[in-house]
Amino acid sequence: MDTLERYRDIIPDFDGFLDTMFQPLPTTFRINTLKTDCQHLLGRLDYEHLTYLPFKWYPHGLKMDVEKPGNLVESLMGYIHSQEEISMVSPVVLKPRPEERVLDLCAAPGSKTTQIAQMMNNRGLLVANEPVPNRIVSLRSNCERLGVMNVVITRYDGRFFPLNQFDRVLVDAPCTGQGMARKDLSVLSRWNLRTSLGIGRLQLSLLKRAITLTKSGGEVVYSTCTFAPEENEAVVSQVLNEGVKLEEVSVPHLKGSPGLNEWMGTEYGDEMKKCARYYPHQNDTGGFFVAKLIKE
Amino acid sequence: MSQSSLKNKCAFELTDRLEILEMWHSRFGILPLVFEGYSFYKRGRNIWIFSQFEIPDLRSDSVGLRFLSTKGRVWKPSTYALQLFGRFAIKNVVDLAPNQAKKFIAGYSQILDADLEDGYVVVSYLGDVLGCGLYKSNQLKSQLPKERRIAENAIVNPSLEGESI
Repeated sequence: MDTLERYRDIIPDFDGFLDTMFQPLPTTFRINTLKTDCQHLLGRLDYEHLTYLPFKWYPHGLKMDVEKPGNLVESLMGYIHSQEEISMVSPVVLKPRPEERVLDLCAAPGSKTTQIAQMMNNRGLLVANEPVPNRIVSLRSNCERLGVMNVVITRYDGRFFPLNQFDRVLVDAPCTGQGMARKDLSVLSRWNLRTSLGIGRLQLSLLKRAITLTKSGGEVVYSTCTFAPEENEAVVSQVLNEGVKLEEVSVPHLKGSPGLNEWMGTEYGDEMKKCARYYPHQNDTGGFFVAKLIKE
Repeated sequence: MSQSSLKNKCAFELTDRLEILEMWHSRFGILPLVFEGYSFYKRGRNIWIFSQFEIPDLRSDSVGLRFLSTKGRVWKPSTYALQLFGRFAIKNVVDLAPNQAKKFIAGYSQILDADLEDGYVVVSYLGDVLGCGLYKSNQLKSQLPKERRIAENAIVNPSLEGESI
């Protein structure tokens, strides 16, 4: 695929990467500890003769070979949530705690929002923002089914979210979604550089606003599900002079690659190696980029 | 933050918790203690449960989780409120057999002879709450939201093999 060729020199084992890109994604779930616990849920699955494989890196993740995840009674009860494995990384890196004030700036459909709520144990305040009205429907529906009681849903344009003081902000930014090609190949044929550059401007505005909304000592996590450096390192490197510093992203037992310090002649700086890139063939997942910023 | 600014921004108003706790206690035997640490807000004919005692000064689309509807003559608990708190119920709760649970999840009504008062009941399967049912004249009517009903649901266990609804 031509769109991916531009990454030949930056992705390790590029042929292995291409092979994986054309295989379907495994079906994965998150165990929702707001409504059940791992032992109880796994006991139910055993009783129903469903086979599953726990993730190596995250105790609440499962691979399960089922055709229609939504048809499981455990989905109806909100015990599990169908969620792509690699997308569980951003909340893990954000590390929210109960009693904190946390903002999820681009929240719909709410997979990461509900994971954050679970890490906060339904305590503290979680603001889930989503500007697009029909995407709020899925956000609210997931929050309700998964039993989230500490959430306030707002619908501001994230770039202009009202002034506030949060302990942590997640910017899971809109992106060109190349990392999700295993779910929908058409994202690759629709990609072009102009789109990435345009969306990069929006991403930069969202990230800048997130930093403004974070209190001193607080943390901002920026993530996308695309490989394009124009939407990742190019965006994050532009805020490094805005009173934030990068912290190294490292998730034990999950394979990843460092962020890029340069791309096609543009220098991003060695600091950017603290970001993490997760390629599909490294963990048999989608593709992902994560950066963690501490506000000074 | 003044009450008027709350009203203007989100139309959620703090509501009297006693009346709500009394309803859950009289109907399901759930002790008010279970709801300690939560507050209740009203908007229109719905009451929401929220784990904070103050709504932030933001234009809010929703606050916490929809807890019950005051639309009918009798207040109706939401499916998701029962999924969270129904396990504390000591009356008007029924645990279904596999073939009954299958019907309930698919959204059907069924004849059921159980020790229940007429009205809304907590419906569970394998001890885990599925949602809300309406029990009247020995008939149990599924109150699961339409979008959550599963026609071909995967309730399977050894005792059910070969059985169909």
